[in-house]
Amino acid sequence: MAQTSNGDRVFYGVNYSLLTIFTLLCILPFVHIIAISLSSYRAVVSGEVGLWPVDFTLTAYRNLIREGTIFQALRNTVWVTVVGVVLSMTATTLAAYPLSKKRLNGRPILLWLVIFTMLFNGGLIPTFIVMRTYGLINRYWVLWLLGLASGFNIFIMKTFFQEIPDSLEESAWMDGAQDFTILLRIVLPLSMPVIATLTLFYAVGTWNSYMNVLIYIQDPSRYTLMLRLRQMVNQVNDAMLSAESTEGTEGAQLLDNLITPESIRSAAIIVATVPILIIYPFLQRYFVKGVMLGSLKG
Amino acid sequence: MHDLVQSAVQSDTASQRSQRAKRRWTEIVRDRQLYLMFLPILVWLIMFRYVPMYGLQIAFRDFRFADGISGSEWVGFEHFIKMFGSPEFFLLVRNTLLLNVYQLVFQFPAPIILALMLNEVRNRGFKRISQTLLYVPHFISWVVLGGIIIAILSPSTGIVNNLRVELFAAEPVHYLINNGWWVFWFIASGIWKSAGWGTIIYLAAISGIDPQLYEAATIDGAGKFRKIFHITLPGISGTIAILLILNLGGFIEIGFEQIYMLQNPVVREVAEVIPTYVYRAGLRGGLFSYTAGIGFFQSVVGLVLVWGANRAVKALGGSGLW
Repeated sequence: MAQTSNGDRVFYGVNYSLLTIFTLLCILPFVHIIAISLSSYRAVVSGEVGLWPVDFTLTAYRNLIREGTIFQALRNTVWVTVVGVVLSMTATTLAAYPLSKKRLNGRPILLWLVIFTMLFNGGLIPTFIVMRTYGLINRYWVLWLLGLASGFNIFIMKTFFQEIPDSLEESAWMDGAQDFTILLRIVLPLSMPVIATLTLFYAVGTWNSYMNVLIYIQDPSRYTLMLRLRQMVNQVNDAMLSAESTEGTEGAQLLDNLITPESIRSAAIIVATVPILIIYPFLQRYFVKGVMLGSLKG
Repeated sequence: MHDLVQSAVQSDTASQRSQRAKRRWTEIVRDRQLYLMFLPILVWLIMFRYVPMYGLQIAFRDFRFADGISGSEWVGFEHFIKMFGSPEFFLLVRNTLLLNVYQLVFQFPAPIILALMLNEVRNRGFKRISQTLLYVPHFISWVVLGGIIIAILSPSTGIVNNLRVELFAAEPVHYLINNGWWVFWFIASGIWKSAGWGTIIYLAAISGIDPQLYEAATIDGAGKFRKIFHITLPGISGTIAILLILNLGGFIEIGFEQIYMLQNPVVREVAEVIPTYVYRAGLRGGLFSYTAGIGFFQSVVGLVLVWGANRAVKALGGSGLW
């Protein structure tokens, strides 16, 4: 289109400006938190910190390291995530491949068994009671098994498998290959985009998961990063509330002696977020494709 | 003669039936590895999804751990009668419904609008960077997002209040302990996390629209907005309908983590919802059967809503979820 009308020019101008604002709104809070985590406590309390650190200091991170529990929590989270992703990907693949075969007898029943769990569930209390009966309280197995496979992810993968031309599998079948072999040797190597996408989804889901850990893991030495982080957020909050409600010099003194000041909380937030931000750009080019494929032709 | 034909036809169908059964059996044998693959999932579905559903019957019993799920005393609708008679329950249902309605009105259209805007961007670099950044909050946990929100809204050190004080010389506001503001920030945080990510699916749908439609409209002299309203939006209405159904399924099942992170006792009157109450009164307070009943009520309403929405979409000529 060679000529752009005046109306269109205004339209584009407004559109670009609004999008820029939205994008910045999305991302600036993170920048602000990073700035706080690197600023001195005085600068934070006096409200001088915007998007750039004031009185640059690494004290918050040093305190975080000295306190130590965050590393145990980090180790726990890595373990829970790695094992969880391996189990989830295996289960999702094993569920999705048979469901992608239209020739399979009884396929509608199996599909509905999965779909129904997406529409209805037993709820928190019955699930808790059943997990207790299974003896899974305080074990990571409860996290791995409860989050083993999500119906949505099974469907994304099933749709992807259906897009692979049947002829490839048929010729392997003629050569005497069985379904397991076909899945491993032919289908999976062709499915890297969907594997990358779902790996990211499961990894982020497990890494970020809070509710199940809160409910099922009671031993503090087995807490994950999110639980530990939440404790720190609460500590700051309670301390701030009591300091704010205590008037005058006494209140100011309380603020000065906070055990977990704003900056440490911010540092913990950054520590918990950075691993995701590191893997995110590498997987991003896959997941946009993966999500589109799975969602559109479901 | 007539009888003979009849019996011949009958014997024929009988043999056809047995043949069909035989063929089906060979197919099942041929696909044995596929069934074997599905077997672990089947066992898992039963143990971790369907057994808890079976456990819902404790809503009709007085559950005690010593007696187990099916051994506890049967009390019929006692818990439900108590539930419907309690003002607490109506507070929970009201809050759950209201927050969901607000989400539906403000949060659901956000990714659609954002996708329409992104679709009009011609500069590829701008589009890619802006999309990459808009997706980020989706990957950050509610614990972190909640922590950030609490930090930036703090009345003493939060940047939002600092700006207010500096720019407008206004008094700092305790946002998260004020009922109205709390709801505002709850919805805003939901949009923050989900709007960018939600655009993916709409952008995919938009890219499936026939470009000739736009060319024809341009020749007819249609402006930007007319094209958006008469081509783009109708083109993605099917996707919108499906996401609406899915959203209604989550309707009454409001996200536990988001609300739990932002909640505090002061705003209980607007912020206490079914899942948080079930957690506190049920798991922490030990009211297992009563809160299982509340959870049951919630699940059933959610199921009915999905079912209804799906039927409505189909009745209007769309293709539903099933």
